[in-house]
Amino acid sequence: MKEKKLKKKTYMWYLIMTILLIVITLTVGVSVFSYYINHFTKEQDVNQYDKYYVMIAGDDSSLWQSVYEGAYDAGLQENSYVDLLDGVFDKSYSKEDLMRIAIASEVDGIIVVADESDEMTELINEAVEKGIPVVTLYGDNTHSARCSFVGIGSYDLGREYGRQVLEIVDNTTIQAEAEAAEEPIEETTAAEPVKVMVLVNANAMDSAQNILCSGIQDTIEREKPEGMQFEMSLVPIDDENAFSVEESIRDIFREGELPDIIICLNELNTTCVYQAVVDYNKVGQVNILGYYDSDTIIKAIDRNVIYATISIDTKQMGKFCVEALTEYNTYGNTSQYFTADIALINKRNVALYMEGDEEDEE
Amino acid sequence: MKSKLRNLKNLSLQGKISSIYILTNILVFVVNVLLIMGINRMSNEMEMVYRDNLQLNELAQALDEVQNSMTDYLNAKTSDSLEDYYRSEQDYQNLINNLTDEVTGISYDRMKRNIKHMSEQYLEITDQTIEAKRGRNVEKYSVRYENATQLYDYINTYIYSLNNEQFISNSENYNELAQTFRMFETIGIGVMFVVIIFNVYIIIKMVETLISPLKALSKSADEVANGNFNIKVLDVQSEDEIGVVTRAFNQMVVSIRLYIERIRRSMEVERAMKENELKMEAHLKDAQLKYLQAQINPHFLFNTLNAGAQLAMLEGADRTYEYVQNMAEFFRYNVKKGDEIVSIREEIELVDNYIYILNVRFSGDIHYEKKIDKSLLQIQMPSMILQPIVENCVNHGIREMAGEGKIYLSVYRLDDMACISIRDNGIGMSQETIEKVLSGTYREEELTGDSNGIGMDNVIGRLKLFTESEDVMSIISEGTDKGTEVIIYLQMREREEDDV
Repeated sequence: MKEKKLKKKTYMWYLIMTILLIVITLTVGVSVFSYYINHFTKEQDVNQYDKYYVMIAGDDSSLWQSVYEGAYDAGLQENSYVDLLDGVFDKSYSKEDLMRIAIASEVDGIIVVADESDEMTELINEAVEKGIPVVTLYGDNTHSARCSFVGIGSYDLGREYGRQVLEIVDNTTIQAEAEAAEEPIEETTAAEPVKVMVLVNANAMDSAQNILCSGIQDTIEREKPEGMQFEMSLVPIDDENAFSVEESIRDIFREGELPDIIICLNELNTTCVYQAVVDYNKVGQVNILGYYDSDTIIKAIDRNVIYATISIDTKQMGKFCVEALTEYNTYGNTSQYFTADIALINKRNVALYMEGDEEDEE
Repeated sequence: MKSKLRNLKNLSLQGKISSIYILTNILVFVVNVLLIMGINRMSNEMEMVYRDNLQLNELAQALDEVQNSMTDYLNAKTSDSLEDYYRSEQDYQNLINNLTDEVTGISYDRMKRNIKHMSEQYLEITDQTIEAKRGRNVEKYSVRYENATQLYDYINTYIYSLNNEQFISNSENYNELAQTFRMFETIGIGVMFVVIIFNVYIIIKMVETLISPLKALSKSADEVANGNFNIKVLDVQSEDEIGVVTRAFNQMVVSIRLYIERIRRSMEVERAMKENELKMEAHLKDAQLKYLQAQINPHFLFNTLNAGAQLAMLEGADRTYEYVQNMAEFFRYNVKKGDEIVSIREEIELVDNYIYILNVRFSGDIHYEKKIDKSLLQIQMPSMILQPIVENCVNHGIREMAGEGKIYLSVYRLDDMACISIRDNGIGMSQETIEKVLSGTYREEELTGDSNGIGMDNVIGRLKLFTESEDVMSIISEGTDKGTEVIIYLQMREREEDDV
């Protein structure tokens, strides 16, 4: 009897266990499923931000991407969100169009790679009128009501370029002398002036560019070896239309009269000149001083096609932009100028940057 | 919980089977509901993927309508187009009010926010344009129209860009969703499978418990059918129909056992009684046989004696008549009562006749005395008991002695017994002989002419059968020449009851 009761009890126990197991199976199934669903839906960042800034660069080259990243990171720290307006639209809009869109969108601040055009001035003023602070980046619009300018020290940059020109000349002279020792007949050629070509932006005849050029000129004049002649020319590159930059640069190579040194003042120009030198088989004849440290440019330095390039602390630049806007939004005013650091990359230290790139890639 | 369990146990069989089905069905139902809910959620999620695109398309359409109706109005200034404008403007306003105004990490949200702000500006400008047109300020409205158109262009591009981007990302989401859906399918089928296995287990187990008492019952029934009533009483586990049947079965088995026992006992009694009867009959037959051997034909004898008695009466020989009459009575008794139960009175009358005959024969040698409790005369006893005993007294006790022989017959009550004592003053009996006589091993010598042929063993045997008792007779003799007393014991109560 007792045994039977015990049996009955264990049987009830089994029954309850089975039902429990069913319930557990169901619960596990449901929770696994809901985990999947929730995992699926909650992937996005739904954090809300206090301020919304937009950045307008004109093109989405890696330079601006890098600056944007700096600005974005700095923005997150201030609980502000920075959007790069270029690349958002399927249609390619000019900087002015994007400015209008930004103004109409009533953003909390605009970071724009400006130029000295009147239209830009108007737009910046319109934005400021509507209570949107504008920070000009890299290219300034001095006549506008922009609150701040974040750029690089153009004069310093010019001096750096100047020094590099002299270094190139120094190196080639030593080479030439060595060659001359073997072939003294061609000595007369040494008196020929060194031709330096600076590729300037045709449309942005802003002061920064001028300052930069004078920086180069001053440095060469001051530090050039005695008897050495320099012939510096400014070649405007038309960047108004798409692909016009590349065409303009090819034109220079096609027309024959090639300089000894070409100084490029933006990333695109550098890349185009580098490609043209390779295509026209002028490696070694034309020395390139580049701008910015994109992968292509770094590789070109490594291959001795580009002599040196200037690296800008883009992250710092972006950070300055956001800081300026935050400051302005908080205190009503901010410093007029911010200057980002620059660094020179040439054959000697290029390995450092390449490693850095590799690390970044990892 | 316990009382609930008891309730469950007391459910009827129908209730139990139904509850098993209901339980398992509920489980399957729950699983199905969960699956359907999951599918529902998935399809909602899938719908969501493209819902945003649909919304944006609506937005773009509404924007187109605003722009077109405004252009229409500027062109023709019809009231219809103005009405169209206001309606479409309202529609568009409603749509953009639904857009989020928050800046979040989600790019769509930011784009929507921008579209919202731009649209607000756009609507402001279109309003102003319409106002200017109404005020016929040509210069103003054409400038504003251009501004509006430019903004319209931007917004349109914005919407299309957003739409495009969302479509691309939604397609990715869709792939992920499809994967999740497949995952869900697997999980669903797995869960369903496990639950069904458990269900089957539950059904098997429950049916087993339901059926087990039935199995035990059928096994027991089978044994009973094979004649084994000594089975263990079945345990009643539940109060359902099976429990009721089990209990009834138990009751039935116990009852059958009881009946069988009772029948067996009554059969035994009957058998004993029959045996008794047969024995009695055999003894009687034996006695009769012996009687017939001795007396050639009692009827003939009786009739001739009667004729003799009549002759004596005719001749006036009264004593002869009486003698012959007594003889006739004696033989008639033998003929009539040979196989009957008779009363003590009748037996004593026979003894009286016998003694009278003897006294005539032996010319008054025997002194016969009676001392009788008359209330006992109706008690019944087998016939032909007393006469053979008296015969023995005369033949063995009195005849062989000198002097007057005496026979005392007394009937008296001893406790609940009726005792008939026959005492003589004859030569007496040795203890050995008494024992032999009582145990029935005493062999008499050849029947004498004075005997009616019935021996003591026959007398004792019939008495034993009649009273169903061993102590029916005792013989007392105090030694040689001191006489013998034979006492017969009859159960009084039974006979009295029979009389009543």
